[in-house]
Amino acid sequence: MHKDISQSIHKLDAHARMQGKAQYVGDIDIKGMLHAITLRSPIAKGIIKAIHYPPLPSGYTIIDYRDIPGKNFVKMIFEDWKIFAEDTVEHIGEPIALIVGEDKRVLYDIHDKIICDIQPLEPLFSYQKSVIDYQFTKGNPDPVFKQAKKIIKETYETGYQEQAYIEPQGFIGYPETAEKVTLIGSVQCLYYVKNAVVSALDTHPDNVRVIQAAVGGAFGGKEEYPSLIACQLAIAIRKTQKPIKLIFEREEDMSVTTKRHPSKTTMEAAIDADNNIVGIRAKVALDGGAYIGLSGVVLSRALIAVTNAYTIKHLAVSGDVFKTNTVPNGAFRGFGAPQMIFAIEMFMHHLAKQLNQDPYSFRMQYLAKQGDQTSTSGLFRDPIIMPKMIQKATEMAQFHDKVKAYKTMPNRGIGMSYFLHGCGFTGSGESTHINAQVKLRKDDHDHVYILVAAVDMGQGAKTTLIKIVSHTLEIPIEQVHFDYPDTDDVPDSGPTVASRTAMIVGGLVNQAALEMKSLWQSKTPLEVIKRYKQPEWIVWDEKTFQGDAYPAYSWGVNIVEVEVSPITYQVNIIGIWSVYDVGKALDETIVLGQADGGTAQGVAYGYLEVMVHEQGQLKQKNMTDYIIPTAVDMAPTQTHLYDNPFALGPYGAKGAGELTLVGGAPAVAMAIEMAIKKPIKKIPATPEYIMELMHDDDH
Amino acid sequence: MVKHLIPNTLNEALEALSKHPYQIIGGGTDAMIQYRNHSDLSPRFKAHVMYIMNLKALQGISSNDAAIIIQSMTPLETLNSHALVPPLLRKVILEMASPALRYVATLAGNIVNASPAGDALVPLYLWDTEVVLQSHQNSRKIRLSECITGPKKTGIRADELLTQIIIPKHDESGHYYQKVGGRRADAIAKISFAGTYKINNNTLTDIRMAFGAVSATIVRQRDIENMIIGLNINDLSTKIEQLQAAYAPYIQPIDDQRSNRVYRKQVALNLIADFINHIIKEASRP
Ligand SMILES: Cc1cc2nc3c(=O)[nH]c(=O)nc-3n(C[C@H](O)[C@H](O)[C@H](O)COP(=O)(O)OP(=O)(O)OC[C@H]3O[C@@H](n4cnc5c(N)ncnc54)[C@H](O)[C@@H]3O)c2cc1C
Repeated sequence: MHKDISQSIHKLDAHARMQGKAQYVGDIDIKGMLHAITLRSPIAKGIIKAIHYPPLPSGYTIIDYRDIPGKNFVKMIFEDWKIFAEDTVEHIGEPIALIVGEDKRVLYDIHDKIICDIQPLEPLFSYQKSVIDYQFTKGNPDPVFKQAKKIIKETYETGYQEQAYIEPQGFIGYPETAEKVTLIGSVQCLYYVKNAVVSALDTHPDNVRVIQAAVGGAFGGKEEYPSLIACQLAIAIRKTQKPIKLIFEREEDMSVTTKRHPSKTTMEAAIDADNNIVGIRAKVALDGGAYIGLSGVVLSRALIAVTNAYTIKHLAVSGDVFKTNTVPNGAFRGFGAPQMIFAIEMFMHHLAKQLNQDPYSFRMQYLAKQGDQTSTSGLFRDPIIMPKMIQKATEMAQFHDKVKAYKTMPNRGIGMSYFLHGCGFTGSGESTHINAQVKLRKDDHDHVYILVAAVDMGQGAKTTLIKIVSHTLEIPIEQVHFDYPDTDDVPDSGPTVASRTAMIVGGLVNQAALEMKSLWQSKTPLEVIKRYKQPEWIVWDEKTFQGDAYPAYSWGVNIVEVEVSPITYQVNIIGIWSVYDVGKALDETIVLGQADGGTAQGVAYGYLEVMVHEQGQLKQKNMTDYIIPTAVDMAPTQTHLYDNPFALGPYGAKGAGELTLVGGAPAVAMAIEMAIKKPIKKIPATPEYIMELMHDDDH
Repeated sequence: MVKHLIPNTLNEALEALSKHPYQIIGGGTDAMIQYRNHSDLSPRFKAHVMYIMNLKALQGISSNDAAIIIQSMTPLETLNSHALVPPLLRKVILEMASPALRYVATLAGNIVNASPAGDALVPLYLWDTEVVLQSHQNSRKIRLSECITGPKKTGIRADELLTQIIIPKHDESGHYYQKVGGRRADAIAKISFAGTYKINNNTLTDIRMAFGAVSATIVRQRDIENMIIGLNINDLSTKIEQLQAAYAPYIQPIDDQRSNRVYRKQVALNLIADFINHIIKEASRP
């Protein structure tokens, strides 16, 4: 019982998943159930003149914007994302209506007979129309740039990334009463869905119930998007009073759901006479797609990550979200950080080269230390153990020897990235937006039930939360339960996003367990509720981006080694070495799983995964065309975890989910750069791009 | 209604075909995707369907003095582990799809699908492979390169089945293969290249090269190969640019969701050079 919590146990959902017993939305059928399919805009921008529906057979229904009891938008942050297109369409695939009925064949037959009379308008695909802009400064950047000996400027670009979860989006729902709708779905955020549906139905919160089904992967793709289809489905259920299933097919899912924002970032450094960086100016452009959704939050997290794991005294940071007539972009593991960390890591590396300095020592000088000011003039309060982590990583990878050897050896390269990731919501978000609540319930057999809205989407939340309670209460794992949450039963502990589940929700669950322990009476039922209280020292001004952006940071180092073929320009990953500080691993195997998956996804973002659109139509729409790495593409990984407990995390735990992704792209890009001896300024660094660079003698 | 026929013998299959056209399904790994429908709905077949994977007569590998004979429905995975199958073909198969797919996918399916990116076609073109097309009353043997007439097009008649693939025995000193896909496994080729060569007393007595995914069908040009046959190994390196120039007009790739034409063309030309350099290197080994 007193063993180290990091010691791994069998992942508690593994058996059910492996044996096919886990019930995904696709596995759930309800008697008398209807199906829904979606009518979508065939063009990127236009004015809807008329939608001509064929005569409908009995039992078949069309649901469109006219059926929405509440306002026609998906409740998130702004009132902009429509549930169903009304007067205009803003992107290819925008939902216009649901077609609902029993037989899918009939549904597609109706679908194919619908005539959409839409007057095309000129769509916008370039960064012209800013819909959000943020800016902030640190120190006093203007004079620093005026007095600089030299200003070095570079621009970096990143592409789309698709979450590529195994299970596509889907819900099944039914009318519980004439008023009440129940939805079972593949989601990350039960209460986001519930709140959006309450708004769409314009009803009392008691009339909407959301239950989590087994979730087959999410990666952020099931953060905000499910709210859209849940609203559509709830409206259909209210109208038909029948159970209905709405489940996407792979090609539909890839063509219309949110992606990682493509970006373009311009970095400028003010350099003094001694070749020191005295200030940085950064300007970020994110392609938001047709609707803002969460893009503003993604932008703010990108901007805050501007100096990554470094401390730079003077900063001027700004950024825009641009509207384009493409699929709305949204949440994706890393949430703005991967774009920014790619830019700053490459920039630091390129600065060193342009200043004729050794990149390793150059970057080391600027590494953030405990007590330094963060990019938003907050404080790095907790110990930072990056020097030790870097030392370990370089030893594991034999980094320095290889750097030396590859100066003369062609086609081989090795790259190293440093990075941090802010855990939990930005600033006071946890208290002002979320205000999480958790509940522990003990029954008269002394079995304890964790009642939280956190979702296990494969990342291990079920196992780690149960471990926390079991350890704290000193009762066997089997005596603690965490079932698929149901909003009729669990309080709003917040969304399963932002690397907050272990640290914030787990922290509250641990507090509840401690209280339960102090009140424990055998065979007596007991309920304990805990609410999030923001530490007093967190002061954050959302408007000016000043203060502590996050309660804590996780840290990491990635080293990637590659070989680039001069014949085919293909990149072969030879090795990946990582060191992480996630505070304390609540289960070592689970963190290592996050590490392997995260680096695979992050490294692949840097060199492999290609998604582009042509006139607003995504060209890669299935897993044949959208290339993600197979086991053969990944190299052996070696990962080391250092404990660096965070006082407010359960057993010292901080976030681990996103951290492992954000450093992969710059590490692989730097390795490729070393192999081909040309600077990389764009990801993914595909063979096609590498060929261009190798054949371009201007660099 | 679509009728589904699972014949028990080849004769039954051919007889049925002589009366009606059928959509043939071998392993189904191309056909089932081509005719795929929305989830839960049956495939969108446009004709009656005949499943021939189980026909005993179409399974197996044998050889005679002149050739290796592969019955058309032998799964790729079987070929992969069979001693009679040329090592180059096994190498190619090992990079096709994934193991699960290879247990059902067939060589005949790859041929009749006639994709410009069909991997197995590339080595088969090198060997002047022939195919046997059988109908109820007749049987004809034609060159594979004549059987495939364009992208997704063959000269196989509706009443015919491809029953055998005949690979002439081929004497080689070595071979070379590169599949350039979007990743290292389970990817459709952006371009592929196979070559074989024969050296006698420092003279190149035969060389063959074939390119996949660079044109409407596999590119193989005996006339260009002849340009360097008979040369001394020591003279080969001076011929690389000439070879590249000769092949260039035949390498007419496209832009698509997997790659672009500039890349495909450049890599094809690089592969020619790499192949020749490979030969020179191998020949200089003690
Ligand atoms: C995930 C995946 C990955 C793949 N990867 C690759 C790859 O890496 N490289 C590659 O080249 N291909 C690949 N393919 C395509 C496919 O697997 C191959 O082309 C395979 O060889 C097809 O064989 P089959 O028996 O399944 O063909 P089927 O689908 O059964 O048939 C294909 C066509 O041939 C016809 N046909 C089949 N047998 C006969 C016959 N005896 N006589 C007349 N007509 C016949 C059918 O009517 C059909 O038109 C992949 C497919 C999938 C689904």
